Amino acid sequence: MRRVVAAAILLLGAAASACADEGEPPEWLKALRLRGRLAEEFAYRLHDPGDVSKLKTLGWLEGKYAFSDAVAVRAAVRGWYDAVFDATDRYPANVERDQKTDISLREALLTVGRGDFDVRLGRQQIVWGEAISVFITDIVNPKDFREFVLPDFSELRIPIWALDFTYRLTEGVSFEGVWTPDTMHNRLPKQGAEFQFARLPYRFRNPVVHLPDDADEFSLARSEGGFRLSLLRRGWDVSLIYYDEADKSPVFFQRRVAQPPRPDVIVIDPQHPRVHVVGATLGKSFEPVVVRAEAAYTIGKRYETTDPLDLDGVVRRDTLDWLVGVDYTFFERLDTALQLSQKVLMGSATNLTRPGVAARVTTSLALRLTTGFFDNTLNPTVLFVTGVNRGDFRLSPRIDYLLTGAVTLSVGADLFEGPHLTLYGQFDRNDRVTFTTTWRF
Amino acid sequence: MCRLLLGLVLVLGLASSASADQAADIVAEADRFRRPADSFVWKITITSQEAKKTPSVDGFEVFVKGGGRVFVRFVAPPRSVGRSLLALGRDLWIYLPDAGKPVRIPLSQRLVGQVANGDIARADYAGDYDATLTGEDALDGVACHVLDLKAKTKDVTYSAIKYWVSKEGRRPVRAEFYAGTGTLLKTGTFDNFRDVGGHLLATRLTLTDAIRKDKRSVLDYGEVSVRELPDKYFDKNYMKTLD
Repeated sequence: MRRVVAAAILLLGAAASACADEGEPPEWLKALRLRGRLAEEFAYRLHDPGDVSKLKTLGWLEGKYAFSDAVAVRAAVRGWYDAVFDATDRYPANVERDQKTDISLREALLTVGRGDFDVRLGRQQIVWGEAISVFITDIVNPKDFREFVLPDFSELRIPIWALDFTYRLTEGVSFEGVWTPDTMHNRLPKQGAEFQFARLPYRFRNPVVHLPDDADEFSLARSEGGFRLSLLRRGWDVSLIYYDEADKSPVFFQRRVAQPPRPDVIVIDPQHPRVHVVGATLGKSFEPVVVRAEAAYTIGKRYETTDPLDLDGVVRRDTLDWLVGVDYTFFERLDTALQLSQKVLMGSATNLTRPGVAARVTTSLALRLTTGFFDNTLNPTVLFVTGVNRGDFRLSPRIDYLLTGAVTLSVGADLFEGPHLTLYGQFDRNDRVTFTTTWRF
Repeated sequence: MCRLLLGLVLVLGLASSASADQAADIVAEADRFRRPADSFVWKITITSQEAKKTPSVDGFEVFVKGGGRVFVRFVAPPRSVGRSLLALGRDLWIYLPDAGKPVRIPLSQRLVGQVANGDIARADYAGDYDATLTGEDALDGVACHVLDLKAKTKDVTYSAIKYWVSKEGRRPVRAEFYAGTGTLLKTGTFDNFRDVGGHLLATRLTLTDAIRKDKRSVLDYGEVSVRELPDKYFDKNYMKTLD
């Protein structure tokens, strides 16, 4: 994979320099579009031990070549080096191996269109849903949670090799089908990482053996797929979705293995049970208010339990996630987005231990405020997300300053508060301030 | 007497209806100076300026097709490249590469500087507003009709527009844009009339903030390509493909 990525970088780079060297590009090169960005990301952890937690140099290069209006190829690569692993010694070697450098193919896509039929074949992100900053119906791509949910969502999604086709049935009505043998799972931070998730409590005091999460990442037999039917009528933007997949987050099954005369060993076996997701999304503008809603019912969803009588330490709870949000601009300049979401378990939540599941009904509220000063060159944003049940929250203020059309400076903070085993409270000691410089070309 | 009154009411009603028709005709004809064909691609540059500051320049490629369908691709500066807007009538979406999907937004939200999304995505005053002819005026020596435009629905960028259209040739000359509260938001002037592909068009719109007169944005309409655009260009699910 790394060789493919390196070759892609060389090709894109050569094309870019050809563009730069000559005043007027040759005809074949006019169909090529290149762009990219280079960012320096700095983060300082506020709590003891206060220290630099990120010193990342990130590069992104993408290109598109259009053979015609109907056929095009696209490729994108991303790479980073995080100097914090050389500058400090506070992270263990397994975290350094996992997060110090990265080079990945973010897109390698052939798009072909004929009439009302369009096909996208290759490595890509397939994004469903209306809401901002949540994943309720954004279910096709696995996510990279090594930095929790703090990066942009296009960075969080892990691209997959997939076939994605769309057929426009009539004006305002389209059908999209997705199939992928790339059954990759969410990428979780290693033990000792800055944003390592809280460890689940064990049910027993016995010795524990962790099995690796080694399910196939490319499998025809376990391939995933689904569809989305989209409808736009009189401003009502509605879609219905169905997706059949393996749960992208591991579910930690436990079993007791007898080893007489020694005590039984508890084997923790991460698995990815099959789930079926049925959902719907809605968007509608009642000028000047925009309303959006999403719902997803996950059949076959499983959660870890601390119930000592449970045989495998896992229970099934079909789950409904839903959200409703409104956007409104106050005083002509303060863009406001308010979202209410709930996770509803079809059954008791007693003994369930997963952060993000506080009760049978877990309620969250999110508020985002954005405005602009000095002709929108200075743009403050505040994101506040709270778990209503237990009062945990995330507060992320940020100011973006557009130094030039290509360079943006950002100063911000990510503050977490709450009980330890809650979604945001687990990072109570990870409050940080950030400074980012981004150059786009 | 009753017959006389009835006749008077009828005459007044007809006169009022004729006046409304005339006002609608004037607005529809003025709209033609802001739209070269039924299906075309137009390059627009917006220069936003605040007193004593370096102006910022944003570039757009605007794809327009009948039925109020507009797709706007952001082409400059580099920080905006990759974004796009889609307007289907009064429904508006923005595609942000960071989000990776089209997101519904209101027409009244600001795009850049003094320019609202609707200023680019909607150019159909005749379709969006009820017009009343209120009088005459002279602007820089040009005799103009003065019209009051009231929004037909709440789903448009401005609640009301006071619109000056030249009597000769019915060209748009000046507009004042009002919020629902009656507050003047900004004023616009149309000029640089040029022949573009056989159509005489207003190729510059200058928007000035109503309170801070030193804050203004100039929309320059550049190269035009008149061609039949596929319907799928105006599907929100196709926005990413057009990026």
